[in-house]
Amino acid sequence: MSQKLVIDPVTRVEGHGKVTVHLDENNRVQDAKFHIVEFRGFERFIQGHPYWEAPVMVQRLCGICPVSHHLAAAKAIDQIVGIDPEDLSLPAQKIRKLLHFGQLFQSHALHFFYLASPDLLFGAESNPLKRNVVGVAMEYPELAKKGILMRKFGQEIIKMVAGKRIHGISTTPGGVHKRISAKERAYFLDGNEIPSVDTMIEWSMEIIDFIKSYHISNKGFLDSFASYPSGHLGLVNKENGFLELYDGFLRATDADGNITLDDINSDDYNQYFYEGVEKWSYLKFPYLKHLGRDKGWNRVGPLARINICDGIETSLAEQERLDFKAVTNGKINNMTMHTHWARLIEILYCAEMMKQLLEDDHILSNDLIRKGERRKEGIGIIEAPRGTLIHHYEVDNKDRITRCNLIVSTTHNNEPMNQAVRWVANNVLDGKPKITEGMMNQVEVAIRAYDPCLSCATHAMGQMPLELQLFDHLGNIIEEKIRH
Amino acid sequence: MESRILLVGIGNCGRADDGLGWAFIDKIQSSLPENYDFEYRYQLQIEDAELASKYQTVIFIDAHNDSFEKGFVFKECFPQATASFTTHELAPESVLYLTDSIYDKKPKSFTLGITGVNFCLAIGLSGSAEQNLLNALDFFIIKMHLQPIKTIT
Repeated sequence: MSQKLVIDPVTRVEGHGKVTVHLDENNRVQDAKFHIVEFRGFERFIQGHPYWEAPVMVQRLCGICPVSHHLAAAKAIDQIVGIDPEDLSLPAQKIRKLLHFGQLFQSHALHFFYLASPDLLFGAESNPLKRNVVGVAMEYPELAKKGILMRKFGQEIIKMVAGKRIHGISTTPGGVHKRISAKERAYFLDGNEIPSVDTMIEWSMEIIDFIKSYHISNKGFLDSFASYPSGHLGLVNKENGFLELYDGFLRATDADGNITLDDINSDDYNQYFYEGVEKWSYLKFPYLKHLGRDKGWNRVGPLARINICDGIETSLAEQERLDFKAVTNGKINNMTMHTHWARLIEILYCAEMMKQLLEDDHILSNDLIRKGERRKEGIGIIEAPRGTLIHHYEVDNKDRITRCNLIVSTTHNNEPMNQAVRWVANNVLDGKPKITEGMMNQVEVAIRAYDPCLSCATHAMGQMPLELQLFDHLGNIIEEKIRH
Repeated sequence: MESRILLVGIGNCGRADDGLGWAFIDKIQSSLPENYDFEYRYQLQIEDAELASKYQTVIFIDAHNDSFEKGFVFKECFPQATASFTTHELAPESVLYLTDSIYDKKPKSFTLGITGVNFCLAIGLSGSAEQNLLNALDFFIIKMHLQPIKTIT
């Protein structure tokens, strides 16, 4: 008898999704899908609001990465008031970047220490009662303590710049509304009240050493699990093609490193992307028009960013990038679990950049806002923790938003996550007489590598678990796993 | 040294009575002596374990689904290892467990649950929740020997 396996909810991810796996009479996998089953409609209800409300409203999409939405919207709204990214005052640019790096740092720390590390430390098939952050705290208290303090450091940066850790406000059209005081920045540099930014750099390097050692001991797992060829998309620095998280050109490569999107201006994104839809998911499937739906999809996020960039401007992170590239002899890395490694290189980069910006006297300046000539349209693209984030607004002559298009990171990763689920279905579940909890967790491990934020991607509201169900060939659910 | 006490108001004031924890902090803060600190939280997070480790007493205030004779329940809270599917929700007991296991600190802890009836999208408390909040405030002021709340007329 054929079956359908459903994971519902998928755990230790930010959001509510469901995985279904269809098996035939011999337990061979016929199909596997990752469904996003909630809908909120932010793009619609923001219409009619004054454009200056957008950076405040859209950050309510998420409690994990509100800063990313705040900044992407702010960049778009800057354009509506006639200010392109390079027109911002230097202090405003640097204060925004400090906020952005604080956000990336805390989000990456949350993902690695709280969500992903239990799988790596205890194993994907270990006891689920232990395979969580509480288990990590019990067995690795020093690691847990560092994870907590690293996340706290990023959140304190956010609080300093935006006023509070979640849903604060920093930007105003054409700039930022507040400079940093000398006392505020000393808090992060002197190490008297919290571990200093130098300690953050030191701990970031320690955790990279951990993943490198883990790779030596678990090479088979990290290199092969849920690996598949894909395109890679992200921003690169406009001047030198280096890793860029705030403002740059869009670049994509195929799985072999051939350029498929050649450093285009962010404002032109609409000419190159389509968004496909499927009736079984509220999450769209973006792809490059000229390559089509089947070949034009891309991964985004840490792995993609490290793959496509030509270098990293900070010395320690650049050395780590070179070590990372050496694993694939300089070629594109399509190994899904290496996303964790790439994420840790970015943690180090963010720590180094925060130090650089905190020591820069521009952030103390009062030169915060620029004015320009009003436009009808604005596009803001940044690299959020999970990948390329696009905000696009059009406004009428009464300053009301008439159209809004959001393509969030997890949306780009929709097809990649489906590929990962299919890999696990075909390589772990296929032909097995009994599906164990550990096997199902491996489906989640593959999804977790992308650190998906399903609430952002679908703009879902409320409780956000992810589920797994097993169906027979007649469509009857014969097994269901729901964890709350 | 004077005992340091932390009040943590938990909830979302955009969902009607779910804002009871925050409303409690709003009302009580003017009556708090210097050894008290307070924080607002949508939900508890793992890093709150580090915060709790710096206090001798921690009191979590949240909306409650259940009904109680006086409209609230006040009880001691103990560390307990519980796992959740996401980082979006962490019970006070779990935070205290992490405080103990990572920081080797066991602050005396309590939860104050105040009954709410409407958790839909709305700003402002229901009439019933308002009354329960007043009852909880009266109880808390007496229990903790605080000054009466100053009202602006």
